[in-house]
Amino acid sequence: MVRPWLGTAARLILAGVWIVAGASKVGDLAASGRAVNAYQLMPFDVAQVVGATLPLVEIVLGVLLLVGFATRLAAAASAALLVVFVAGITSAWVRGLSIDCGCFGGGGQLEAGQSPSYGPEIARDVAFLALALFLIVFPRTRFSLDALLTGDSRED
Amino acid sequence: MSKRVGQKQAARVVRDQISKEKRRRRTVWTSVIAVAALVLAGLIGWGIYASQKAGSYNTPRHASGGATGVSTGSGHVPVDVYLDFMCPHCKAFDEEANAALKQLVKDKKITLAYHPVAFLDSASTTKYSTRASASFACAADGDKAFEYASALFARQPAEGGPGLSDDDLIQVGGTVGLLNPTFARCIRSGTYTSWAAHVTDAASGRGVTGTPTVYVNGKKTEATSEAIINAVKAASQ
Repeated sequence: MVRPWLGTAARLILAGVWIVAGASKVGDLAASGRAVNAYQLMPFDVAQVVGATLPLVEIVLGVLLLVGFATRLAAAASAALLVVFVAGITSAWVRGLSIDCGCFGGGGQLEAGQSPSYGPEIARDVAFLALALFLIVFPRTRFSLDALLTGDSRED
Repeated sequence: MSKRVGQKQAARVVRDQISKEKRRRRTVWTSVIAVAALVLAGLIGWGIYASQKAGSYNTPRHASGGATGVSTGSGHVPVDVYLDFMCPHCKAFDEEANAALKQLVKDKKITLAYHPVAFLDSASTTKYSTRASASFACAADGDKAFEYASALFARQPAEGGPGLSDDDLIQVGGTVGLLNPTFARCIRSGTYTSWAAHVTDAASGRGVTGTPTVYVNGKKTEATSEAIINAVKAASQ
């Protein structure tokens, strides 16, 4: 059966994405708040809180996926976050803002001469979203804590 | 069907139900634990951020309104410049527009404020943006903030490196006449480190997301001497 192995691959890729994304922002939570603020979607105070909470949540989400604990829930949370990110980037694009998405650190307004790359950023997030959706539908994967806990070796 | 087979089947149905119930309960518990971990992570992040946030700060001399920058001049038109000492375009701006801004201040046309934000702390290994911003405030205490800003830009460090050391920051002050030991003490003791965070938060709160950003009379203006002069003209009519 190939599907549980595909699931393991999807889980590990998504885990890597979250851990790298979270780790790149966790060192400067104030900068993370400014990156959120640059989207101009919420008041600065709210953006600061969102920016401060996001990196550690991303890391924990990555760890959950890495060990395969509560896989379906972690995948659903991933999908929800990714939908929000895609919506945010799209809205920045539509409003003609010139910002860095701040997905993996950085963020804020681009310097003169730099142009935003909203298209590739959205495409990348949609690809991650596809992995998350796969895991929501098929949460049983190899090498997961879930399988260990349920003692479930059934092929399905 | 014999009685015994029927009993066996019934027993299996019960076993299946029990194991299904067990699995369901395990799913509920793993979900609860996972959600708790995610919520806890968010709260910890918030807590760390809240504890880092600039609560109180020292206000330097010549501070602009709200202590969000350092100002000079007595003209009617306010010109606010948001810059980061690590940002190459800010260096270019200061070099290009400095003379024109000085003239406008001298002619009593504008009140000029520099807001040294620390957006680019991650571009150096020593939070150079914050340290340079704080040292700018130290220079303001010595009445040489704007001269010091230009001197700092002239020595702008490369991105990714350690930036200028405290000794270097003090030595740059010496080149513009900041020879008083209080200036060196101010830098070494981090007197204005939390002020730099205050300036940065205030800038973000105003909607500044990049540097350099210039406002003339409260209106966002292109960061060139020509655009600023025109905007000042328009505002003073």
